[in-house]
Amino acid sequence: MTEVRVHVGDAVVARVAARSARGVPGVLALRADLAQTLLGLAGSVLRQDTGALPAEGVSAAVHGDTAEVSVTVVTRLGHNCRDLAQAVQRTVAADVAGYTGLEVLVSVTVADVSLD
Amino acid sequence: MSGANGHADDAVERLACGRDAAAAWDHAGAPDEHERTCPHCTATIADARRLDALVHRMADEPIEPPPSVLDRVLDAVLAELRPHHVLTLASPHGPAGLARPAAAAVLRHVVDRMDGMRARSCRIEQDDSDSADPAPADVTITVVARFGVDLASVTARVRQMVVAAGEQALGAPIRRVDIVVVDVFDGEEPA
Repeated sequence: MTEVRVHVGDAVVARVAARSARGVPGVLALRADLAQTLLGLAGSVLRQDTGALPAEGVSAAVHGDTAEVSVTVVTRLGHNCRDLAQAVQRTVAADVAGYTGLEVLVSVTVADVSLD
Repeated sequence: MSGANGHADDAVERLACGRDAAAAWDHAGAPDEHERTCPHCTATIADARRLDALVHRMADEPIEPPPSVLDRVLDAVLAELRPHHVLTLASPHGPAGLARPAAAAVLRHVVDRMDGMRARSCRIEQDDSDSADPAPADVTITVVARFGVDLASVTARVRQMVVAAGEQALGAPIRRVDIVVVDVFDGEEPA
């Protein structure tokens, strides 16, 4: 019997989590941190679009069988921030677990509330 | 003489017709009789013109940063500068937070929408001592009121509005609201 081991990388988890978080109703956008913003700008200036799923606003780290995911979102006035944060945690945890088989802890920060 | 010529022959790349490619290149703007008909020279001149067009097109392209570049960098810098300015939100699924400036902007916004009231500043404090369950927040908001509005009832309305907005919009319970009326305005609302 051959033993097959799959290790899922941080970037995979981050991209899946970003895609999942963007689909949660009430999430207007994900907010990248400074390093991601600058890297993103460099990429857009150099036109190095590799077609990869964007992961701005998400950082992820895989430790063994568990993943820690941190998501920063922007919402709009009218969505309860606490309920939204919980919805993002539930959705992202379920989607990442379903895709990677990892146990996932999701922390969410609502960085901004659009008042438009 | 012949030695010098031989040396020169080594240094320059001759086209099949015997002409110097560099010379043909230089004549690209005004080719002579031979260069207009010789296939090797016309090919060389075409190369020169193609490069010229390419270089000048790129040089003429204005270099513009993406339109929102300043906003994006500023947002990121501000977020980076105040990483811990976050209100803790109740969640059974893990850490959840709300940026304090965003929460304050929401509260100012709802007060601004009230008749005869304008919010100036808003500060939100949360006691972090009990980390297991997020503590209710204390809000200090400064407002200006329209002259003639009864201040006692207006502050009661502001308090009610802030507490309701905290529960409904933010999902953060608010324990105390301090309202400071710093000014009154007359008739037309101040900007």
